Amino acid sequence: MRRRPGIGGLQTAAAARDQYRLLGENVAKIKTDLMKEQLATFRSQLEDFARKHKNDIRKNPAFRSQFHEMCAKVGVDPLASNKGFWAELLGIGDFYYELGVQIVDICLATRPHNGGLINLQELCHLLRQRRKSDRGVVSKDDCLRAIGKLKVLGSGFEVISVAKRKLVRSVPTELNKDHNEILELAQAQGYVTVEEVERRLSWTSGRAIDALDTLLDEGLAMIDDGHQDGKRRYWFPCVSPISSSIGVDS
Amino acid sequence: MQKLGEFKLPPFFNYPPYFTLQPVRDTRDKQIQLWKDLILDYCKTQKVFVIGLEEEFPLFSNPVIERSLTHEARETFLSVLVVEGRAEWMDKFHRKCLILWHRIEEWAEILVQFARDNGLEDGVVTIEEIRFGTESQGTELQGIDRTILNRALKILEQKGKLVVFKGTSTDDEGVKFSL
Repeated sequence: MRRRPGIGGLQTAAAARDQYRLLGENVAKIKTDLMKEQLATFRSQLEDFARKHKNDIRKNPAFRSQFHEMCAKVGVDPLASNKGFWAELLGIGDFYYELGVQIVDICLATRPHNGGLINLQELCHLLRQRRKSDRGVVSKDDCLRAIGKLKVLGSGFEVISVAKRKLVRSVPTELNKDHNEILELAQAQGYVTVEEVERRLSWTSGRAIDALDTLLDEGLAMIDDGHQDGKRRYWFPCVSPISSSIGVDS
Repeated sequence: MQKLGEFKLPPFFNYPPYFTLQPVRDTRDKQIQLWKDLILDYCKTQKVFVIGLEEEFPLFSNPVIERSLTHEARETFLSVLVVEGRAEWMDKFHRKCLILWHRIEEWAEILVQFARDNGLEDGVVTIEEIRFGTESQGTELQGIDRTILNRALKILEQKGKLVVFKGTSTDDEGVKFSL
């Protein structure tokens, strides 16, 4: 059936459009309300959960880490703001801010020795010593989380992975792949020689020397000419176990 | 922690590269700082007044990691102390170095305090008594190096706070305070 043109036809069409719009708005409103309701339920449940397990979250690093994971999955960041119920409930924001400040402190204090690159394990160790009151309660996961929060400062705090180890960088040095490979090689003994780098990585001596020189200039490496074989060794304080005792009285 | 007698050695003493002078300036500055502090600290607690660069000195080598400082490194560390007034070369070839964990003026102050503590404001005391007498036992003056003592005495003499008089031999040189 063909609609005939005319004022009546136009009015009908307009009325139909209005109807559709109204209906659409209604559906959207119902959906939003439902969402809101679900969110409220979820939020109250999460609050209940957090309240119930408050002590676990505070004291047990493994539990804390899982709690964070769960929050991340549903898109909640308990650290996003220090205000609001998470902070009031758990004081969890303060905890990480405190860690963050202490991490910056440690990185600065050890920088002259390690050139601004520190082993995550060593950092945790120093952090625990500093927080004597709750020794052992800070996990690597907590460290990583606190460092993640430091990124907003734009000061170049970053975690880099070298082989299986994680290193925390507190200076804006760009380490390329060559440097990383050398650091990885150095993890075995704490040092490398030019020969070793050439042999193990199949590099030309120019490439090896160039990379090592950069690491020296950045303060990440130190030379050692004292071995009886007369070969220069390049030590890396950031990967050497001995550096864990620097600045710490055992 | 490694020890030299009663002296606790810092961790860097076991890290081989600290025994090689570092080519990069920032790293070397830090290295020098650590060594400077170690040398002063060691000399003060062990009452070492003179370091001979060519002689055995416990801090100059670490048998545990088989490293020792080169002559150049020894001279560099001590030279920085000299620049800061914490040491003095005793000969122009830089073979011997006098370590001043207290500056001479500070030693002079210590002497004045010593005189006051022992009621010697107008008294007489021999050099031997200052260095090894019962009064100085347990004080910083015990066993003080002769050169340093003489220099401190000279400062006080110039200020008119004492007079040094010589006896028939060096053994009975003495001091008359007038504080």
